[in-house]
Amino acid sequence: MDRGWYFRLAIVVGSSVLGFLALWPSVDRWLPCPDVVKEVFDNQINPGLDIKGGLRLMYEVEVDEYIRDRRDRIAEQVQRQCGVLIGVVPEEEIDDIDRAKLDEIRQRCKVERVDKEGGAVRAIRMTFSNQEDARKLSKSWVKDYFRDLRVASGVGDLVVDLHMREEQLANMRETAVRQSERTITNRIDTMGVLEPTVIARPNDGDIIIEIPGAQESSFERIKSIISRTAQLSFKIVDDESDSRSIFTSPPEGIYLNQGAQTFAEAFGEDARDSLRTYIATLAVPDDHELSIGRQEPDPERGGEGWRTYYMYRVADATGEDLDDASVGFDPQSGSPEVDFTMNSRGASRMADLTGRNIGKRMAIVLDDRVESAPVIQGQIGGRGRITLGAYQDRNELLQEAKDLVVVLQAGALPAPLRPANEQLIGPTLGQDSVRKGAVAALVGVILVVVFMALYYQVAGLVADAMVLLNLQLLLGVMSGIGATLTLPGVAAIALTVGMAVDANVLITERIREELRLGKSPRSAVEQGYARAYSSVFDSQLTTAIAGVVLWQFGTGPIKGFATMLLIGIGTSLFTGTFCSKVLFDWLVRGMRVQRLRVG
Amino acid sequence: MEFIKPGTYIDFMKYRGPVITVLGIIATLSLVSLFYPGPNYGIDFAGGTEVQLLFKGDTSPAEVRKALQDSGYARPDVISVEDQPNEYIIRVQEVSSLPDAQVEKIRTSVATALGDGVLQEMKVSPGGDKITLRVSGPVNEQQLQEALMTGGANVRSINALTGSRDPRYEAQLVGVADELMTQLQRRFGERAPASALRVEWVGPKAGQQLRDAAIQSLLYAIAFIMLYVAFRFDLRFAPGGVIAMLHDALITLGIYVLLQKEVNLTTVAALLTIMGYSINDTIVVFDRIRENMVRVRDKSLRELINISTSQMLSRTLVTSLTTLLSVSAFFFLGTGVIQDIAFALGIGILIGTLSSIFIAAPITEFMDRRLFSRSRG
Repeated sequence: MDRGWYFRLAIVVGSSVLGFLALWPSVDRWLPCPDVVKEVFDNQINPGLDIKGGLRLMYEVEVDEYIRDRRDRIAEQVQRQCGVLIGVVPEEEIDDIDRAKLDEIRQRCKVERVDKEGGAVRAIRMTFSNQEDARKLSKSWVKDYFRDLRVASGVGDLVVDLHMREEQLANMRETAVRQSERTITNRIDTMGVLEPTVIARPNDGDIIIEIPGAQESSFERIKSIISRTAQLSFKIVDDESDSRSIFTSPPEGIYLNQGAQTFAEAFGEDARDSLRTYIATLAVPDDHELSIGRQEPDPERGGEGWRTYYMYRVADATGEDLDDASVGFDPQSGSPEVDFTMNSRGASRMADLTGRNIGKRMAIVLDDRVESAPVIQGQIGGRGRITLGAYQDRNELLQEAKDLVVVLQAGALPAPLRPANEQLIGPTLGQDSVRKGAVAALVGVILVVVFMALYYQVAGLVADAMVLLNLQLLLGVMSGIGATLTLPGVAAIALTVGMAVDANVLITERIREELRLGKSPRSAVEQGYARAYSSVFDSQLTTAIAGVVLWQFGTGPIKGFATMLLIGIGTSLFTGTFCSKVLFDWLVRGMRVQRLRVG
Repeated sequence: MEFIKPGTYIDFMKYRGPVITVLGIIATLSLVSLFYPGPNYGIDFAGGTEVQLLFKGDTSPAEVRKALQDSGYARPDVISVEDQPNEYIIRVQEVSSLPDAQVEKIRTSVATALGDGVLQEMKVSPGGDKITLRVSGPVNEQQLQEALMTGGANVRSINALTGSRDPRYEAQLVGVADELMTQLQRRFGERAPASALRVEWVGPKAGQQLRDAAIQSLLYAIAFIMLYVAFRFDLRFAPGGVIAMLHDALITLGIYVLLQKEVNLTTVAALLTIMGYSINDTIVVFDRIRENMVRVRDKSLRELINISTSQMLSRTLVTSLTTLLSVSAFFFLGTGVIQDIAFALGIGILIGTLSSIFIAAPITEFMDRRLFSRSRG
């Protein structure tokens, strides 16, 4: 045998060993797996909900927050449109009103958000400073520009109340739940082949998620990824206005920093909560807000630090315009961070925002936390990064960066989720069904193996060896990526094996044809393979194309199906063409068989 | 061993007329069956009723499952709650949905009773087990219950959620769960749960999003397959493979529907597998036709198809047979969902083998005649 053959043999043996090692942690129960192997291959085949059960989570979508958020955005639009109504700015400039003009509009017609205590009515109040302006407002103006609003009272008066339309509220509730479902599904899909169940119930405003498997440790991570709101926004920090008067005497443990700007800070484990409680009591102007971000830790005052930022409420750019996110590293400190790119709309918004605010600070706000607030040095376009603060453990930061990438890529939840219920659940199928399914799979494989050996004799035995190798590699890859195995999945694997012999059948039939033409076994094998390759590749590639498309565009179970399909095609091609050739070559060249028995 | 003697030549194209007619009739029937009687959607697509209950005496998931099946619930999910002995979550397909007219009647009744503008929104859960009402302010619960009853809603209890941030009233209706409880009480006697801990409608696992994604990805897949075949072979081959593939999926689904077997996510996976098998099988035959087109120059495409199909017949039969062997193991030895997949796959493989020979190839010949009207010489 030549060196090329030994090299190919090494690949076959190597992949088989690798496949076995990847599979080992999954069969730990029957064949104890050494810790070294477990460390390298830290995934294993995850039994599906139908076989093993898992964790059942129920989240309530805080629909109310979503409606409030929408109302706030509409209020901002009303304020701007009001500028057109009273003639401060022309219609064309509505998206580009500078702060001075906005202040002027606010002087003449103030738009406030009004929350009724304990009630669901989401209202906006317009207060005109003179009758002349007030008279310009009509019901049709509201109807024309804001289809979500209706006039509740006071057309022609100085004070006008606008309410959200009831039917729009109903729509928004539905939208919030549907969007949450979509985002959650996306996030879980990004995490791999988990085969969860996600059920949305818009009427009740909740979402039920069932995650298969029994690895408690992975549940925590999954839960944190699912329930993170991940609303990213970019806001301008107001360092010019004097915010000193806002900070009324702080309680014990909260310090006022009276430097160039005033801010409050606190240290220690409860610092964030106590700071949050404190700022909730403060009276902040309607167009501003106070948010909390990390501060350099101070061991003398209690460790980790948090501080407040005084900034404009309006987010000029948000995570909705995010195109992609990835884990990166700070070139100087080497600490993990998240790099992101915006789509074209986001990039132009960002350029606009930074161009107008050079020299000011831009707060990158994720949910209710200011991640960083760098000074804008010049106009920046569609790229940016989120530094995660350099005050924590590096491994923790890296995990945080990875998780953040998952949630940013999958998009923000439209509203926060509140955990309502959490239970470990048993399998949906009885042990009996699972056992029968496993037996059927085994019998199926045996039937194929026996048939092939009878029909193709020696070539059939080669095919059988490939069937077993294929099965082992397929399970190995599944174990390596931590794929979820359901009972229908077991059937799919057995079927893949049945179908995978197709490559062997095609090749063997070709070899038969060549042998009938009177060729020597050696040249018949060479010719058989050469001729059969194109059918094998074309047929598998066509299926693979379908698989890639399903993987790209499908979600949930469809994506799971596509993943398994692609893995199956990969291992079948490898065993069916490459590995089987090594075996045949050994027969006809190494053993020099004079007559190749192919049935 | 050889099923097909070497050198066998069968004039497949001669039989294409009758075979296409028969397959065409079956395909048409299948298409009709999708609308009448229509698919029997399982809980994955249609949702169902979920009940959580605590049995007073010891029992096992298998026993509960058996009892429900004996009571006529086709395929109940019986899930034990870990760490809570004898607590179960039961999901059944049955719902007690209210007809639209009935809902309208209830709405009118409530709106009238509560007075002008008080009722802002009324929603009935798709499972017909709960009515959610949003009102402008607190109302008299007694009055609300009476109004609901007058409208024809069988109210069990009213729950005021007026303290929450989203104030509303929820009226629980008598429905599927009550029937289920009665059955369990009859079969378990002393051990049966006293009352349900929770009764809820569960939405479909495969909601709008999944349906959209499925349809979208399928259309893209078809487009890309056609592109690949057109590029790798030529334009004449592209439609045949895809039409045969859709034909196989359609007939399999049709037979499923005609037998009123439950259509669920697993069925979708089975259909996708069948489509993969079908296109695979077709491409192999195409490949041989292409090869012979180069090697045999003095034959018409019709003859080439016959020669190629005959040459490939042995392989086609062997592959179909091995696949059928593994499928049959699941059909005869498996249960429930596994048996259903095996059934679908079995039909798909048979139809898929036929369609490669009698649908894909003849369409290619038809395309050939349309595109190159002169006969090949």
